[in-house]
Amino acid sequence: MMCIMMCYVMIGRSPPVMNHTKGGLVIFSANSHPSSREISKRIGERLGVELGKVQVYQEDNRETRVQIQESVRGKDVFIIQTVSKDVNTTIMELLIMVYACRTSCARSITGVVPYFPYSKQCKMRKRGSIVSKLLASMMCKAGLTHLITMDLHQKEIQGFFNIPVDNLRASPFLLQYIQEEIPDYRNAVIVAKSPASARRAQSFAERLRLGIAVIHGEAQDAESDLVDGRHSPPTVKIPLLIPKEKPPITVVGDVGGRIAIIVDDIIDDVDSFVAAAQTLKKHGAYKIFVMATHGILSSDAPKLIEESAIDKVVVTNTIPHEHQKLQCIKIQTVDISLILSEAIRRIYNGESMSYLFRHIGLED
Amino acid sequence: MPNIVLFSGSSHQDLSQKVADRLGLELGKVITKKFSNQETCVEIGESVRGEDVYIVQSGCGEINDNLMELLIMINACKIASSSRVTAVIPCFPYARQDKKDKGFFDIAVDNLYAEPAVLQWIRENIPEWKNSCIVSPDAGGAKRVTSIADRLNVEFALIHKERKKANEVDRMVLVGDVKDRVAILVDDMADTCGTICKAAEKLIDAGAIKVYAILTHGIFSGPAITRINDAPFEAVVVTNTIPQEEKMKSCPKIQIIDIAMILAEAIRRTHNGESVSYLFSHVPL
Repeated sequence: MMCIMMCYVMIGRSPPVMNHTKGGLVIFSANSHPSSREISKRIGERLGVELGKVQVYQEDNRETRVQIQESVRGKDVFIIQTVSKDVNTTIMELLIMVYACRTSCARSITGVVPYFPYSKQCKMRKRGSIVSKLLASMMCKAGLTHLITMDLHQKEIQGFFNIPVDNLRASPFLLQYIQEEIPDYRNAVIVAKSPASARRAQSFAERLRLGIAVIHGEAQDAESDLVDGRHSPPTVKIPLLIPKEKPPITVVGDVGGRIAIIVDDIIDDVDSFVAAAQTLKKHGAYKIFVMATHGILSSDAPKLIEESAIDKVVVTNTIPHEHQKLQCIKIQTVDISLILSEAIRRIYNGESMSYLFRHIGLED
Repeated sequence: MPNIVLFSGSSHQDLSQKVADRLGLELGKVITKKFSNQETCVEIGESVRGEDVYIVQSGCGEINDNLMELLIMINACKIASSSRVTAVIPCFPYARQDKKDKGFFDIAVDNLYAEPAVLQWIRENIPEWKNSCIVSPDAGGAKRVTSIADRLNVEFALIHKERKKANEVDRMVLVGDVKDRVAILVDDMADTCGTICKAAEKLIDAGAIKVYAILTHGIFSGPAITRINDAPFEAVVVTNTIPQEEKMKSCPKIQIIDIAMILAEAIRRTHNGESVSYLFSHVPL
């Protein structure tokens, strides 16, 4: 734990030297929304590089237009794109930008997309589409040569691309938050709100030397129904599988008299989190934190969190959520621009990326 | 022998229904919705295994959303083992940002023309058509306009922008004669309508009795409707490649040419392996 904190102090000392002998580095932000450009500005500051000049906007007829206002010929281009409220527009902005750089003879085009959209639609759902595969194909076809992202919902999405994908982790930052901002964290228990997130909870608990607890029961089955394969009427009578028993909501593990820290990768619809907090309070937890990498927090999530038993929600700045923070004071942000800028620097200078993956367990 | 299955995206359900009616089919069951995080979700509601699928989606309204929806639907149909998937895109989005052309696609493209429908409309709705003049609002549309003028056996004219000095605004110059005639402006798109409204005024000044505007795609964004209401048009005619019901409520000058039968006929001919080129010069009954 001490060595994790040491390495980040070292990196943050002064803007690192960029290798200027190659074609050059250009960093663009392809977002039209000003709030989405926050993280790009921070990354630019950390690297000591000014963001490239580009105009991204929507015309009156709702078509997206991207106009690059400097030369990218022979340069290594990094396009930072954060997902805003309009996901489909964000995707189009990125694709148009990537294609524009490709046709302008950029040497390489790396997409920096901290939260990869449509990552929850990565499995066959009845007669649905595997949208993340579609998206991966479109990005590669548009000319992307490398992708940097963070905490992919399913690691298998990396396989959908035929270009290198770096799936960075936010856990070191969240762990640092726990150690620095939660005074009696040694009396905490890492909680998985459903068996699906047990692996992540385990990897956190291991690094903090804490115990885990898993919530299991009725409320969880709703999501698993949707991932069924397609249904065809059977031509012969197949013996029916015994339907799964739906047990009442239980907490496996001891949370009595402890701080409960629920960890997950995405926090979007908060109903399950609110229900989990309720259960934990009933079982004796005296403080409840929710920590997630990507804080989508759509529709009335802030209001529900305000009214719930959750004490604090901690998310990273992979997705801009200023609007939600105004509605709910319980939301805290952890800045992860450091690791993104470090990744950009290493890729540009051709250095090893393995340093960024030290202390990351198999389950993370 | 595969059957035709026709799906509609959410951009223009009305047109899709008309096309389905023409083909004597029901629209295929599909659920398109958005999750709370604004991600699009598509679920095909019937079997398309081995079928000939057509998806009707126009590039209008929220273009990026409609485009993603179309892509996801095509992907879903392919994964569900359809025999062939054809996208029917009446108004192709992003057409002005790069030239849409057959050579830019890796697949077969049939670019249908609204011309036959436009000619029919002119003959049926403009009583003085024999004494009209077809006008192009810019030099680029000359070919389109001369083609129509030749088939109607009438005159044509065009308006071109002339810049006298470096920082002077473009002047519009009319090349051709419209005095005492009905002027019919023809163009492919009407977006903000700045150009065609100025053109209409120019034509009235030059002595035209009436001015009509016939445009294939009526995008009408920004101040377009206000401009049309203030301009000296007799009527502004667009096809229904883009839904126009809302716009028609605030602008009585807008009239519609229904192209559903052209699309339906194209679908039928493609499905049966017949030639589609008949449609380049004839309007199906």
